[in-house]
Amino acid sequence: MSYTARPRPGRLRVNRGERTLRNTVVVSVLAFYAVFLVYPIIQAFIGSFHLWNPLKGQFHFIGWENYADALTEDLFWTSMTNNLVFTVSVVATRVGLALVIALAISRVKHLKSLFRTVYFLPVISSLIAVAFVWRLIYEPNVGLVNKTLALVGITGKNWLLDPDTALFAVVVMTVWKDLGYAVVLLLAGILNLSPEVFEAAAIDGASRGQVLRRITLPLLNPTVVFVVVTSLISYLQTFAQIFVMTNGGPGTKTYLTTYQIFNEAFVKYNFGSSSALSFLLFLVIMVLTWVQLRFSDAESRA
Amino acid sequence: MILERRDLSTYFVLGFFGTVMLVPFLWMILSSFKSNSEIMATVQTLAPVQWTIENYQTLASKFNITGYFRNSLFVALTKTVLIAYVSTLCGYVFAKYKFRGREALFGLVIGTMMIPWPVTIIPLYDLMTKFGWIDSYLSLIVPGIFSSFGIFLMRQFISGVPSELIESARMDGASEYSISHRIVFPLCGNALSAIVIFHFLWSWDDFLWPYLMISTDSLQLLPVALKNFIGKYYTNYGALFASTTLSVIPVLVVYLFFQKRFIEGVAMSGIKG
Repeated sequence: MSYTARPRPGRLRVNRGERTLRNTVVVSVLAFYAVFLVYPIIQAFIGSFHLWNPLKGQFHFIGWENYADALTEDLFWTSMTNNLVFTVSVVATRVGLALVIALAISRVKHLKSLFRTVYFLPVISSLIAVAFVWRLIYEPNVGLVNKTLALVGITGKNWLLDPDTALFAVVVMTVWKDLGYAVVLLLAGILNLSPEVFEAAAIDGASRGQVLRRITLPLLNPTVVFVVVTSLISYLQTFAQIFVMTNGGPGTKTYLTTYQIFNEAFVKYNFGSSSALSFLLFLVIMVLTWVQLRFSDAESRA
Repeated sequence: MILERRDLSTYFVLGFFGTVMLVPFLWMILSSFKSNSEIMATVQTLAPVQWTIENYQTLASKFNITGYFRNSLFVALTKTVLIAYVSTLCGYVFAKYKFRGREALFGLVIGTMMIPWPVTIIPLYDLMTKFGWIDSYLSLIVPGIFSSFGIFLMRQFISGVPSELIESARMDGASEYSISHRIVFPLCGNALSAIVIFHFLWSWDDFLWPYLMISTDSLQLLPVALKNFIGKYYTNYGALFASTTLSVIPVLVVYLFFQKRFIEGVAMSGIKG
């Protein structure tokens, strides 16, 4: 058997054009990711162990001090708690409502595309602009909420300055803004379900409620998990609406972790402690994502 | 049309929340045509009693909205076109070429999608300062050209393009350049529209990065300029309504024209390949 005469298995004939394109892509992907992602991550990680202030020209190694400082600081725990409350409230409300609306749209015979269009309008509007509109909606004197409440004789509050309602008010605005995106994803999931299952259920005389509970929702589970996990990851990094609507206030009631990171980095120029906070946030995101995926995995196997 | 009672309640739910979606827009647009005294009056009507364009006139003299709009459009379009092109080429190579280290390289691309923005923003800021790209659109465009989301989506999509098609083009002597540009590219309509829509919206909406990078007012992008303007004229409600209306409406109009493609593209991003 002439072993060497055969071309090596698994190796394809590669022509010159292919090699050029392949090498160009590989080299540019490597270069780009090295410069704009890998290097920054390593730099941030190293920096998180340093007293790092670019304005004072400081870069001294201080070990775990930034992490220790963060973990013993009240503000870190306050903002992390707010972050979790905010994220869980937005994700639960958004996914729950989106599920109801997507199911409703899939069911109606008329005006389907009109509803889809309407629910998607806030998604494509500029976040900064609508955050300002909502700040005006909550404005105590001229705002839409209080003017409407006044019609039925209720005196409204200063929603964004009241410690009890500020975070909740931002949650409502965020759900309003992002609801349509979840609706479209879930609707696509529903329309992808195979019609045979539903026909079979109809032949067996299943009621509408039974079909929903036993067939639609379980089959839709992968899409729901996808929406929940991606929302979780992105809402834990919410920033712009806080910056526009509350600036973290009143007090620290709407301080989210990213707001604290922003403040440390670009107001106080403590790049080191800000980097440490970022890695703590990263850790929380990884743990929560892992838990979520494990949980949904176990659920779908049960 | 004949409606059953439970259909009626379905329509009611959709109608109710649909109204909630629309009211902030209506209120914003209608209020932008009210005078400040009418906005602050105790007795309110949804539509202006006295229609006026004074808010837009104030805006025209104090806020160069067309300039900021043009800047935002330029950055968003440049970035989106580059990302769509780069994602297609990378997606093609990752989907159809076999080479050593392919999975590892693709793993790097996907793995970095998980990194939250706060982790890299400080070193990137530092890097941009060293490159001398502060206050230049290079800092807004270049670090975003390779999109993990885009490369991932294109690889998934191009994996579904039959390899025979590519092979037979090769047999016919087509160069890799013309295969990737003339055969693969035109087949990617749906995936491309998803990438274009998302990246356009993300770039259009990006706030913090341009806020940190751009300091010259005439170069500023719309969201940051809007924030600065509103900070200055915080008590001029009419002008605020007019400025937010002008920042929102053009994109809404574009959306209404292309909504079918929009929604299909968005829906595609959620379907795992």
